[in-house]
Amino acid sequence: MKKTSMVLAALLLLVGGVFAQGTIKIGGIWMLADITGNQGSKAAQLAVEEINAAGGVLGKKLELVVADDEGKADKAAAQVEKLATVDKVEVFLGGMASGAELGKIPAFKKYNRVVMSTGAAGSATVEKALGPSPESDFYFHLHPWDYNQGASYAEGWDAIQKQYPNIQIKKIFLAYEEGAFGKSSWDATKILFGSQSRYTVDGAPFKSAAFGGGDYTAVLEAAKDFKPDLFLWAGYDADALPLLEQSKAMKFSPGIYLGAPPGWPIGFGSSKLSKNVMLYGMWSTALNDTNAQSKKFYNAYVKKFREEPATYFALLAYDAVYILADGIKRAGTTETAALVKALEQTKYASALGETITFKPSNIIKHQGITRQKILQWQDGFQEIIWPFEAATADPVYPFPLWK
Amino acid sequence: MAVKRQKAITWALGLAASVAILLWKPTVLIYGLQTAGLYAAIAIPMGLVLGIVHIVNLAHGEFMMLASYATYFACKALGMDPLFAIIPTALVTAAFGWIIFQITIRRALKAPELNQLILTFGLAIAFTQVINLMFTSQTYKMPLDYVSASMDIGDLTFGTWSFVFIAMAMLFSFGLQFFLTKTTTGKAALAVGQNPRGAAIVGIDVYKIYGLVFALALALVGAMGALFLTKSAIFPQVGSPFTMKSFCLVAMAGVGNIPGILSASILLGVAENFLRAFRGTRGWADIVFFVLIIVVIMSRSLKGRKS
Repeated sequence: MKKTSMVLAALLLLVGGVFAQGTIKIGGIWMLADITGNQGSKAAQLAVEEINAAGGVLGKKLELVVADDEGKADKAAAQVEKLATVDKVEVFLGGMASGAELGKIPAFKKYNRVVMSTGAAGSATVEKALGPSPESDFYFHLHPWDYNQGASYAEGWDAIQKQYPNIQIKKIFLAYEEGAFGKSSWDATKILFGSQSRYTVDGAPFKSAAFGGGDYTAVLEAAKDFKPDLFLWAGYDADALPLLEQSKAMKFSPGIYLGAPPGWPIGFGSSKLSKNVMLYGMWSTALNDTNAQSKKFYNAYVKKFREEPATYFALLAYDAVYILADGIKRAGTTETAALVKALEQTKYASALGETITFKPSNIIKHQGITRQKILQWQDGFQEIIWPFEAATADPVYPFPLWK
Repeated sequence: MAVKRQKAITWALGLAASVAILLWKPTVLIYGLQTAGLYAAIAIPMGLVLGIVHIVNLAHGEFMMLASYATYFACKALGMDPLFAIIPTALVTAAFGWIIFQITIRRALKAPELNQLILTFGLAIAFTQVINLMFTSQTYKMPLDYVSASMDIGDLTFGTWSFVFIAMAMLFSFGLQFFLTKTTTGKAALAVGQNPRGAAIVGIDVYKIYGLVFALALALVGAMGALFLTKSAIFPQVGSPFTMKSFCLVAMAGVGNIPGILSASILLGVAENFLRAFRGTRGWADIVFFVLIIVVIMSRSLKGRKS
């Protein structure tokens, strides 16, 4: 009996070993309680299943091992350690909040395995901590850095004013939440638009509803007094509708009303107040009409999870898996030096509507997307206004006067 | 006599300050009062629990968050306006509060205060995490036309919907005063709050009263949760800042002083909006909250020492 058990155990170990040899493990780290992480991990799993159904990579199946960083730097660092040593993943992907990403960087450097990062825009923290090439060459950053985003907004508004002469912006007011996110947006806006003599920039902070605030009357009064052509707010999804409701109550209707939260609340488009609100982003369902990859992703995601992808972070995670799989195929291995070389040759037609390649940014060598899009809520849907090559609608201007 | 004079002076000073603010920047007073109404309506149930059950409910804001989520999904399913859900939500949360009291809080009433704090803090975390797991951190907000109602007086335009919170706070305050002083159960609750042992000796079922008061407070929290949904987006952590604010207001007013919560809320609401009116002090609103609490509590202690 004892002998039989031992034989069985040995057989199981052998079979396990065979299966382990047949998989390429990808470690995905997200903040799972957050919608971006929740949907990002699901989208990555969808990509893994699609790739496996199509025969896998190098004759092996991909396996996604998901870990939760809870948006905290210490947890994030511990998850990198666990994935590298216990789960023995060969590459990493994921990420959203810059603070949590910062915690991962020492461990990433220690294990020197390829990372396909889908978030973390904070250049002053994350990019600085990564450092220049070659020490950060393992790190492929898909999401634009904050300065990339700022530059693309300036480029976008210039192009829009040129294309649509009825849209003229001279005065910009930024209402920013008083935390790190809002303050960095304010600093970037002052530098970006304030340094150009043709714009007059002003701003005021507010306490986001996400942190116990939700009273925007003071900031809206300041904005109303300033009479901006472009009113921009940098806060969270919890601020989106209450801010509009209070704007309407105070009869504040600037020419352009633009929000820049990381995501929008569920059902925002169904509100009458959402009409013609502009936003910054990377993707919308409108892209399904013009981009086959976007449509393929959207249909597969909705079919599998019975929910709509709420933010572009789902698409970034989906793309990240495909880019990694493609790189591994071309490299013939997950060994870091070879895979980095292969990924440097990436030309990937993304579901986000652009071809992703990796170029140097201010500090690191491998930056993917550098441009964001300017969109507008029209009849409950986000339409792309700029870049014009991806545009799905003309801008509606001005923002309607409140009745 | 001296107390009466002091009260009259305080009222006169308050009135003079209000008139001055009204003449200088009317919106500071208008929005200050609206904010005060919201704070008071949320804090009053906590004051009731602290004054009678003698427990600091650190899950206070989370109970409101649960009520808001329940209202949101009920309204979505039934196509109902949250205003019509105020009473049903109050009844459901009252029942839920009674169950939570019997299962958890009742067992910790004789335990050291630290245990009670840890218990309610644990409840707060459990509620937040359950909602997080069920609905993620995605925010929900009901689009409602009437919340953008406004009024024009000359050049002045201001939102009027938030005045509903003042009405709610007044209703809670006067309703509770009536309940506690004019009804038999209310008088029994007051007796239990003042001296539980004495109340038990005269035949009052102390634990039954505790359960009832806790359920009543949760009914008010539930009603506020439904009303809160009209103004704010909801997400798992939406209630926790209100626990802290409510606790501070109750501390400022003094334990068991429900009308005092109204006055404290007005002071804080107007002070916050006053600071927000200046460019340089916009970020100080949270600081003034705690500065005022420290000043009030210290002056009360000094007065107590003198007497």
